[in-house]
Amino acid sequence: MNKPGADSKVRITERSLFYWILRRHRPMQLFLLLVIVISLFFRVFPLEMQKRIINEAIYLKETELLFLYCGLYLGAVTIAGLLKYAINVMQLFTGQKILVEMRTELYQHVLQLPLQFYRKMQPGTVISAMTSELNAIGFFLGGAIAIPVTSVLTFSVFLGFMFNLNPLLAMLSIGIYPVELVLIPYLQKKYNTLNKRRVKTTRAMANVVNESISGIHEIHGNVSYGLEEQKLSSFIDQLHALMKKLFIVKYGIKFANNLFQSLGPFILFLVGGYMAINGQFTLGALVAFLSAYEKVYDPWKELIEYYQSYQDAKIRYSQIMKIFDLDPPHLLLPAGREPLALPGNIQLSNVTFTVGNGIKLLENINVDIKANEQIALVGFSGSGKSTLALLIAQLYDTSRGNIEIDDYDIEDLSKFDMGKSVAMIAQHPFIFSGTIYANLLYGIKAIAEDDELPDREQILSVIRDVGLQDDVVRFGLQAVLTAEECKPFRNKFLRMRQIILTSLRDDFANAIEFYDATKYLYYSSIRDNIVFGDSLSGEFLVERLADHAQFMELLREIKLENTLLTLGFALATQTVNLLADFQDDEFFFRDNPMEVDEFTIYSELLERLKGPQPEDVEDRRLLLTLAFRFIPNKHPIVSLPSALEQQILKARHLFQEIIVNIDMDHCKVTGSCKPCDKIPKCGESSAFIPFCPSEYMYTRTLLDNILFGAVKSEKLLDDHLRTLAQQAFQDEKLLDEVMAIGLKFEVGSKGDLLSGGQKQKLAIARAFLKDAPILIMDEATASLDNSSQARIQGLLENEFKGRKTVISVIHRLDLTPAYDRILVLKAGRIIEQGTYDELMERKGAFYELVHAES
Amino acid sequence: MNLSTQNPDLCSKCQLTDVQEFLTRFPIFSGAPAGVVNLFGYLSKKEEYKKGQSILEEGKNCDRLFLILSGKVAIFQYYNERRFHLQLLSGDGINYFGELALLAEFKWFFSAEAWTDVELISISREAFSKVMERYPESYQSMVRKIINVRIHRFVDQSSYLLDHISPEAWREYPEEEE
Ligand SMILES: Nc1ncnc2c1ncn2[C@@H]1O[C@H](COP(=O)(O)OP(=O)(O)OP(=O)(O)O)[C@@H](O)[C@H]1O
Ligand SMILES: [Mg+2]
Repeated sequence: MNKPGADSKVRITERSLFYWILRRHRPMQLFLLLVIVISLFFRVFPLEMQKRIINEAIYLKETELLFLYCGLYLGAVTIAGLLKYAINVMQLFTGQKILVEMRTELYQHVLQLPLQFYRKMQPGTVISAMTSELNAIGFFLGGAIAIPVTSVLTFSVFLGFMFNLNPLLAMLSIGIYPVELVLIPYLQKKYNTLNKRRVKTTRAMANVVNESISGIHEIHGNVSYGLEEQKLSSFIDQLHALMKKLFIVKYGIKFANNLFQSLGPFILFLVGGYMAINGQFTLGALVAFLSAYEKVYDPWKELIEYYQSYQDAKIRYSQIMKIFDLDPPHLLLPAGREPLALPGNIQLSNVTFTVGNGIKLLENINVDIKANEQIALVGFSGSGKSTLALLIAQLYDTSRGNIEIDDYDIEDLSKFDMGKSVAMIAQHPFIFSGTIYANLLYGIKAIAEDDELPDREQILSVIRDVGLQDDVVRFGLQAVLTAEECKPFRNKFLRMRQIILTSLRDDFANAIEFYDATKYLYYSSIRDNIVFGDSLSGEFLVERLADHAQFMELLREIKLENTLLTLGFALATQTVNLLADFQDDEFFFRDNPMEVDEFTIYSELLERLKGPQPEDVEDRRLLLTLAFRFIPNKHPIVSLPSALEQQILKARHLFQEIIVNIDMDHCKVTGSCKPCDKIPKCGESSAFIPFCPSEYMYTRTLLDNILFGAVKSEKLLDDHLRTLAQQAFQDEKLLDEVMAIGLKFEVGSKGDLLSGGQKQKLAIARAFLKDAPILIMDEATASLDNSSQARIQGLLENEFKGRKTVISVIHRLDLTPAYDRILVLKAGRIIEQGTYDELMERKGAFYELVHAES
Repeated sequence: MNLSTQNPDLCSKCQLTDVQEFLTRFPIFSGAPAGVVNLFGYLSKKEEYKKGQSILEEGKNCDRLFLILSGKVAIFQYYNERRFHLQLLSGDGINYFGELALLAEFKWFFSAEAWTDVELISISREAFSKVMERYPESYQSMVRKIINVRIHRFVDQSSYLLDHISPEAWREYPEEEE
């Protein structure tokens, strides 16, 4: 939570850029200054040495002096270099630290800005402001003080040194500087204007891209690629034109700088040389002067560059702060008390909500809602129902009139008060990327302490309440568990497998071909038939098998390799012949070991090959891979000769004995449940897990583990075996475990891996779990099927009656009789209210609506 | 291409060719280009049902045509909550059911049950339309054949029902309506 910092009195968007620099990390910055001053000495010192080397050592022909001065020179230059390095690093570190703080505080501010702000603001603008634009400022921040101070100091010291040598020459050589002082700011101003436009254009571009990515469904659905491209291309062109101008000005500044730098020595040579010839100036002094001139130009250039980047940063900074320049409308935490959970008497008096150019979305709303009353809000689309719900939830603020919750004016309630009192399900709820579990706890985690979080029982019961149970169970069954995750339930899951293998065997045998160490499996691939298990390292994956030396050696020994090559060749030939006209349609490859995108590879391979036994390793690999994937009863394109079955069973046996070195005997007894690691010879290659009734397969899904075989018919499995399995889970008290695993399902960005109904149920569960006294539902069940809708409705009527104040926006009027009161909205006004019977009797607007519906 | 030239062991009895040959015996596929029959052979699925198992149920969405490879299938319908037997189809002859499912989406108006253990070949509507997309010139004649097949069945079933109609239900002319 944000503790109000010492300097949070000035609103973040009103702070100047230097506000950050001057107030943060002062000791570090002071130390930096000190280092800079020290380094100055080591930069001037070599100049003095230069003069002495020429004027004393060389002139007097003193070798010893030469060595001494040269040594000192070298030392000073090295130290100066090292110090410069340290200064750079320190600068950057401080800069980045300040940037982190700036970004964190700004983000906190941005998140709390009112919804109205986001109605107008495009997400792309916010994103580019928070990321790339702030980054650019970060580079400036570190050097913001150090660079000008260093430059000015260095400049003065070298200038002093020059004046000391010869005031006239010094005057002459800096005579051109003032011209720059006029010219460069002029150019810079041009640059700034262009730069501002660049920032704007980049943001607009980010918005277009952001919108099209969010609406990618619509784009695909409408085939509107061209339209979207056009939208972006105008910005691309604008940006292109801007960047051209920007660079012309930028390099113009550079050019001016360089020109002036080269003019200096010209004057020096002319005047200095003349004076040296006339003996008014020693040669050593001239050399030192020249060096000093060169040196004095560096800080000057740095100052100019600093000026440029300061201007740049200032513009970016002000552009960023300008968009967020708004106060969060409510306090986060109440002052001087703990956040309240209010019982939920809600009173609206003369509530009017106006937007933009004076349009009244709601007008003079007067309603009194008692605690635990259940209210239905109905009305036409656009009549203001959602707006009213958002006002009550404090997500919008009234323009006139006021809302009171339990005698507190909603204006004065903090965000945390509202968070504790109100649970809201929005019309279009948002699901965040992460697990189902994280999404469920999203609402409650924000306001509750860790020890107040709901336990598993509560979570699962809410999941059941909203009808998400089957989905969560399915996710659980699809999970691939690591040994660690599986550990607590491993034996229970294996017990489930036992139940299916024994008492439910007859039911399942129609749909599943169970793994059986002694039999050839017609619904499993040849790879599965030989390897008959998985390695945790992925060593025996089907794509890698052909490269596995030991494995291939084994196949060769029992003369299986050539047969498999022939099989692969037959599969490739048949498929390429049959599907040449269909090579881009995935549908035709569903019952084929070849994948749709491999068609070209194999058709090219066949053109190359003369027979099924190619020499080339890669060609052999391609054919073998196809053969390893072949599933006799699923790939009818070629049939498997029974002689091959025997060979494959032999290969399985040898593979277990020689390569993975395990004893499968105990796996051959159905019903045996002794874990492999308890059996001698099993532990040696523990990374390999055979298809053995006593082994949990950590590379496969939970469902695969329980069914323990290949699926013959998905349809049969779906139709009634799933329910049978779920019943068995229930009987074994395992359903909760499976659900707990299912809760860890990752829902994808924006919950895109969930269906629309699943998302809505999740949002409802999230709100229910918060268990706040006021529940606001905006069309919360609109995208659910009838039975799910009825289930939720039942919950309101039974569980929540007398416990929660419910305000529910609904379209389906047949659900309204259950509510204590119905409010009918039309064009932003409440035109009727009363119970269902009262309103029907009155034969007014509600009556009309009901009849229009039926 | 013939696999047996490479290796006499492999594909001595090719599943695919068997199915393709089987298909040509059916009026729907007879006379269709070899390419079309081959594709249907490739896209067809073998289904096995044990005696007494339900194959399809009235009211469920239809999605495929069934050809009987072996065994007997009972076709029946529920009327006023009573089961009425309509036909017993046997794999000995050339028998199939659900042909309309290839053409349109509807709910099954009859049920089918395995009378003995049966083996079926099924072709889905999806497969049918995918193939027909590529062979539009065959589409018309296929549709015509399916309709003919349907009419045959309709005639068969009507005569079966008329054979079994109770004397009281017999009418020569329409009844007068009140
Ligand atoms: N912040 C806003 N700024 C401008 N107009 C708004 C704003 N919020 C809502 N509107 C407009 O106010 C009207 C009412 O919107 P609201 O979402 O409350 O309708 P609703 O009754 O919930 O409709 P629906 O049944 O379709 O959800 C609409 O015409 C909408 O365009
Ligand atoms: Mg709405």
